[in-house]
Amino acid sequence: MGRSFGGDRRAHEELLRLLAPMLRSYFGWRVRVAAEEVEDLVQEALIAIHTRRTTYDLSRPLLPWVYAIAKHKLIDYFRRTSAAPMKEELHDCDAIVEFEGACAARMDISAMLESLPEKQRLAIEATRIRGDTISDVAAAHGWTESDVKVSVHRGLKTLAARFGGAKA
Amino acid sequence: MNTDELIKRLSSDVSPVSPWALEKRMLVGGASGVFVSAAIVILWLGFRPDLETAAITSAFLIKMAYTGALAVCAIAASVHLMRPDARPAVWFVLPAIPVVLLGALAMTELAGAPREAWGSLALGHGVAACIVSISIISVPVFFGLLAAARRLAPTRLRAAGAAIGFASGSLAAGLYALHCIESSASFIFLWYSLAIALAAAVGAIVAPPFLRW
Repeated sequence: MGRSFGGDRRAHEELLRLLAPMLRSYFGWRVRVAAEEVEDLVQEALIAIHTRRTTYDLSRPLLPWVYAIAKHKLIDYFRRTSAAPMKEELHDCDAIVEFEGACAARMDISAMLESLPEKQRLAIEATRIRGDTISDVAAAHGWTESDVKVSVHRGLKTLAARFGGAKA
Repeated sequence: MNTDELIKRLSSDVSPVSPWALEKRMLVGGASGVFVSAAIVILWLGFRPDLETAAITSAFLIKMAYTGALAVCAIAASVHLMRPDARPAVWFVLPAIPVVLLGALAMTELAGAPREAWGSLALGHGVAACIVSISIISVPVFFGLLAAARRLAPTRLRAAGAAIGFASGSLAAGLYALHCIESSASFIFLWYSLAIALAAAVGAIVAPPFLRW
């Protein structure tokens, strides 16, 4: 998105291509109608993502923004067709949205971690995401414990500096 | 049209997005509204005749500080609500601070005055003129902000409408203060606040159909 903000057409096209299947499954799970109608919703969401991209804040993760737009389009669809979903279904929807939010956050995190040196990435993933103990990690990779601690610390520091304002 | 073609077509027109693009858009909308509203104040109401000497009195400064503080919070809240993934933010509760402060000031003012003076302190020279004028002055600002908001992506339409109304009411009250000769804190607290709240309520009711996308 950063590059499409700069006016890079190819990056923008790539991004939309990447988002289309995600939107397709998002709507497909929630609307039990013909595939063409789901495709219409996907296109509407893509158009909104394109024309309203100024509302994306580059410092925040991308997918919650994308899904907020998709959800808005979905609610609009229900309003239009008055095919109000059953209460339970909405409840399911919310659970799925939460799950997706968590997945999305995870994807953003792994994208951030990709930018770190291998060792720091592994150390952070193991201790901060999977919750392994420092001694386990040290043993698994044949590093010393202080080595692991230093890697985690440096990695987090780099991330905090790079994704400004984020609390490490 | 299939989705592939759509993506190609959308990608053929990717104008760069400058940093702060959203804020700039709201600023342009709000500023053009303020421009028209200021013209209304100047041409229709006129500045208060003693503006030069009054401008340094505490009553005038209180009006400016009060409406200015509310306007800042309301504009920040409006901008915040223009993003689809907006969450409740600190800007929604911050306006309580100036309201409470001015309320306390109005209380002490009334407490220090004889009971017979309370009526004139609270009601001033006319309540209706104040509320009607502020409401009228707020209209151009409201439409300016609304026009900007239509090209953005609010998903909480009622909250966004209220925030826009609140912003236009506060800015209009600030402009009206250039004309208004009332000088008691009680008057400002009661009627400026009411007029601003009214603008916010109207915004919440009127704006949502225009904000749909």
